[in-house]
Amino acid sequence: MTLAPRAFLTGLAVLAAALALYPIVGTGYGVRAMLQLFMWIALAGSWNLISGLTGYVSFGHVAFFGAGAYAGAILIAKAGWPWLPAALAGGAAACVLALVIGYPCLRLKGPYFAIAMLGLNEVLRALTSYFEGLTGGGSGLSLPTLHATVPIYYAMALAAAGVTLLTYLIITSRFGLRLMTIREDEVAAEAMGIDTARHKLYAFLLSAAGPGVVGALAARDQGYIEPISVFPLATTITMIVMALFGGKGTVWGPVLGAIVLFVSQEIVWARFPYVHQLLFGAIIAAVVLLMPRGVLGLLQTKYRLPRTL
Amino acid sequence: MAAPVLEVDALSKHFGGVAAVAGVSLRLEPGRIYGLIGPNGSGKTTLFNCITGLERRDAGRVLFNGRRIDGLKPFEVARLGIGRTFQIIRVFPELSALENLLVVTDGPLAAARARALELLRFVKLEGLKDEYAGNLSYGQQKLVEFVRVLMRDPTLVLLDEPAAGVNRTLLNDLLDAVRRLRDEGKTILLVEHDMKVVMGLCETVFVLDHGEKIAEGPPGLIQADERVIEAYFGR
Repeated sequence: MTLAPRAFLTGLAVLAAALALYPIVGTGYGVRAMLQLFMWIALAGSWNLISGLTGYVSFGHVAFFGAGAYAGAILIAKAGWPWLPAALAGGAAACVLALVIGYPCLRLKGPYFAIAMLGLNEVLRALTSYFEGLTGGGSGLSLPTLHATVPIYYAMALAAAGVTLLTYLIITSRFGLRLMTIREDEVAAEAMGIDTARHKLYAFLLSAAGPGVVGALAARDQGYIEPISVFPLATTITMIVMALFGGKGTVWGPVLGAIVLFVSQEIVWARFPYVHQLLFGAIIAAVVLLMPRGVLGLLQTKYRLPRTL
Repeated sequence: MAAPVLEVDALSKHFGGVAAVAGVSLRLEPGRIYGLIGPNGSGKTTLFNCITGLERRDAGRVLFNGRRIDGLKPFEVARLGIGRTFQIIRVFPELSALENLLVVTDGPLAAARARALELLRFVKLEGLKDEYAGNLSYGQQKLVEFVRVLMRDPTLVLLDEPAAGVNRTLLNDLLDAVRRLRDEGKTILLVEHDMKVVMGLCETVFVLDHGEKIAEGPPGLIQADERVIEAYFGR
């Protein structure tokens, strides 16, 4: 079994090197597309940390993306921060938000938690529209012009790699197993001495950091944000579908889901704009009905593959 | 009389207008096996839930080694040294048998692993350690749940119907295991419908009916008790 991991790690290193060199040879469109793919990997992977592991399905995870986007954009536009520290501050802002809302919301079970998260996102959207002085309100917030697509490409790549590495470390640890016991049977977990409230909060904080960082990076990359562009429900749904398709609760599932769905969206569906939404809905239904564990989850249970997949 | 491990003092719990537990008092001494019996709906599981913090009691006190534990969260009660199993099996189905045991420990992983393997060997499940707990048979899941409780080395073990659905051979192993725990100085309180098990294992039996304790004593006397017979068979 030492051969397979070594080959796998070698493959990963080659892939990383290729991605690092890609901006030199890639087209402008190609680099931007890859940047967005990295963003989706980070988002789907982050959603997986709370929802895939603990089973608490967040229907408002884009709230952390939006919070990071606004925190980053305000620091860049109003305080003159460079984009890299602003992106880290976006992650921190999302974590603070997660701490504040996680404490009450994570007491809610099942659909109530999902709906509370959905509501949170709508509240944030309304708040950003309301506080015009800081956020520009409904007319949005413009950032100073900056050509930084390639550095942001690298930053996004690091965010995606960071979230995936974090997921790997969690899933292969006892901490990760404890998160899974919350999904499996929260009452039993509690009766066995696991502090479920604390573990849920940790998972929630970890799942907010990634979206906060990539939200700020996306804001910098686009140069302009407004409430409807950074708090769309569709973004939450997309990250959920990606994680479900690839395999929730697995390390590589969200990565696989993001690649398959993003690439098919770019290549195939862009030519059929009208059926695009329809296809997306059909995929959700098909995954839930036919492969509730997703591609990797299915392979894992069928062929007894290790959790590290 | 030795200092009690667990003292339940006038404990009450209502659900709407139903008094599930009505002023029950129990006293458990260390190194003994106690039985808790009673007809369906007599409040046995609710009493377990109140002791372990899963339900909040309405009135009364629970003391564990002299310390108030009513009002504590379930995980805090578990960490003080009260382990329990459930009437309906509650293993973590998508964790392996081994992971089911590892996950409840806090100390060094290597030591936890050694202990978990030892316990799995003890219930003859070491060959299935990497199997998802949800794929095991009912009886095997019951054994996993039983040894999972032992991972934290509790001083008091509450077993909710340990014999239900377990075949005879397995059951004898399980009962031997319970006796061995007792010999190590642990205290066991078990809810059980199988009277043979209760009579053969328990040193003292408490009988609940409609949330009230109607009898307490050695199994032989309990079997002959008028009120107990009436509770089970009616008049």
